[in-house]
Amino acid sequence: MQNFKDKLYNHEAEPPSEIWQNITAELDGGINKIASVKDFRRKPDLVFYGLTAAASFIFIFIASIFFDLSKTDVSTVSNSLHQSQNLLPKQVQDSLNLNNKILKEIINSTKDKNLLALNYEKSSRYGKKYLTIAGPECQPVKISPKVATLIESADNEYPPKPIWNKKIEKWKQIMLGSTLSPISTNLLDIVQASSSIDNNE
Amino acid sequence: MQELLYKKFSAKMYGVCLRYSGNVDDANDLLQEGFIKVFKNLSKFRGEGSFEGWMRRIFVNTSIEYFRKKIKLYNVSEVQENMIEDVNLNIFDTLAEKDLIILVNELSPGYKMVFNMHVIEGYSHKEIADMLGITEGTSKSQLARAKGVLKKSLEKMSKKPGSNITNI
Repeated sequence: MQNFKDKLYNHEAEPPSEIWQNITAELDGGINKIASVKDFRRKPDLVFYGLTAAASFIFIFIASIFFDLSKTDVSTVSNSLHQSQNLLPKQVQDSLNLNNKILKEIINSTKDKNLLALNYEKSSRYGKKYLTIAGPECQPVKISPKVATLIESADNEYPPKPIWNKKIEKWKQIMLGSTLSPISTNLLDIVQASSSIDNNE
Repeated sequence: MQELLYKKFSAKMYGVCLRYSGNVDDANDLLQEGFIKVFKNLSKFRGEGSFEGWMRRIFVNTSIEYFRKKIKLYNVSEVQENMIEDVNLNIFDTLAEKDLIILVNELSPGYKMVFNMHVIEGYSHKEIADMLGITEGTSKSQLARAKGVLKKSLEKMSKKPGSNITNI
């Protein structure tokens, strides 16, 4: 006698007929999908060549732009070098001339002798927006009128703004205590240089 | 070829689906899904073992996947497991196939799943635990409970007038 396990294991039942129709319908869809996949697998050649061509075109385009820019850059650099070679002596000469004028003014001036340099007269060249002063190395340095006032205030002979005096004094101490190399355009260095010149005089 | 395969195996596989699902609607869905998987994976059959066995595994796995989301089996403690009385299944040998199917379909989905997998398909409790995401203890307890329910159902069935079941 067949035991219950075999009976259950081998149990059969007739499925409804519409199930096969559903399966075929779904398989047809699947077959179409598979076919489309196969089509896609045939296409890679075309897709590959297309992509390669597009990539090559883009590469050539970018390379052409790059080389064009490189040429431009080279020509620009060479032009600028030529220009700088042409202009640099002129600029240096102008600066020196200006500096000499400023120094003469400072020397001849009675009011501003304590300052390193202030050429109010010549600042019209810059539209009154900046003043040109001579730095510690006699180079021209542009400063704003406000800073010029600040420099004036830093001088003990003009004491109307004691707050600025204190501040600048504090900054001076900080700068003097600094291990950093002073730069010529540093305001406090200029002030310090001014004081040194005054002391020497 | 697909139609031939369907005609040859659909009745057997439908039996598997009915045994796992317990209702016609779910069994129809399982049969359809299972055959589509079979047809799509025909190339993967390597000829190791019988084709029917390979196909049956696909249907069993499809049934497990189908019901795993629906059935929540709670892990039980060892104490609960030990309290369950084991039932000798030989008492069911006298039953007709039709009555057996009725009895099995009366089981709750969780019991039925473990009973089918262990008793009919021959999966170990470890395999069942791995496939259903439960512990081995839970698988064992589910099976023991399923046996208990089957025994009670069998007793009820034998008491019905006109029943030829006497050997319980």
